Amino acid sequence: MPKVSLSTPAPNFSLKNFTGETVSLADFTGKANVLLVFNRTFT
Amino acid sequence: MAQLRQDFAEFEKRQTRVVVVGPEDARAFEAYFRKHDLPFIGLPDPTASVLKLYGQEVNLFKLVRMPAQVIVDKEGMARFVHYGHSMADIPENSELLELLDIITDKEITEKV
Repeated sequence: MPKVSLSTPAPNFSLKNFTGETVSLADFTGKANVLLVFNRTFT
Repeated sequence: MAQLRQDFAEFEKRQTRVVVVGPEDARAFEAYFRKHDLPFIGLPDPTASVLKLYGQEVNLFKLVRMPAQVIVDKEGMARFVHYGHSMADIPENSELLELLDIITDKEITEKV
């Protein structure tokens, strides 16, 4: 399974948030840093 | 998640958005976010497309996903990558905030 390496471009993606709006990683470029948290589960 | 919630303002101060991606569906996300009053951006990924893209590990013995964190700077570069080896293997907020300070300082230096 691929892993992201340090100091390389983070792979872009688009997903809908839970209210149905599309969010892309690229939306934040030039605007904000992003802390991506890959969750375990909510339980 | 509660740990991140505690220092949410500190992340905001460092112009950092917290984006949570998980395998649950939108309804489960919404219920959890509302119950715990989470101010983060929550992205359900029930097909695990992004989770696979980023190589989140699955513990096949326990059939659970291992936590992972990636800091992406404003240029879209991965500046911190942590793949947890156990359910509790999560970096401290202080470690993440320290790195964000370094990233922010570098931006200021480059602009001068």
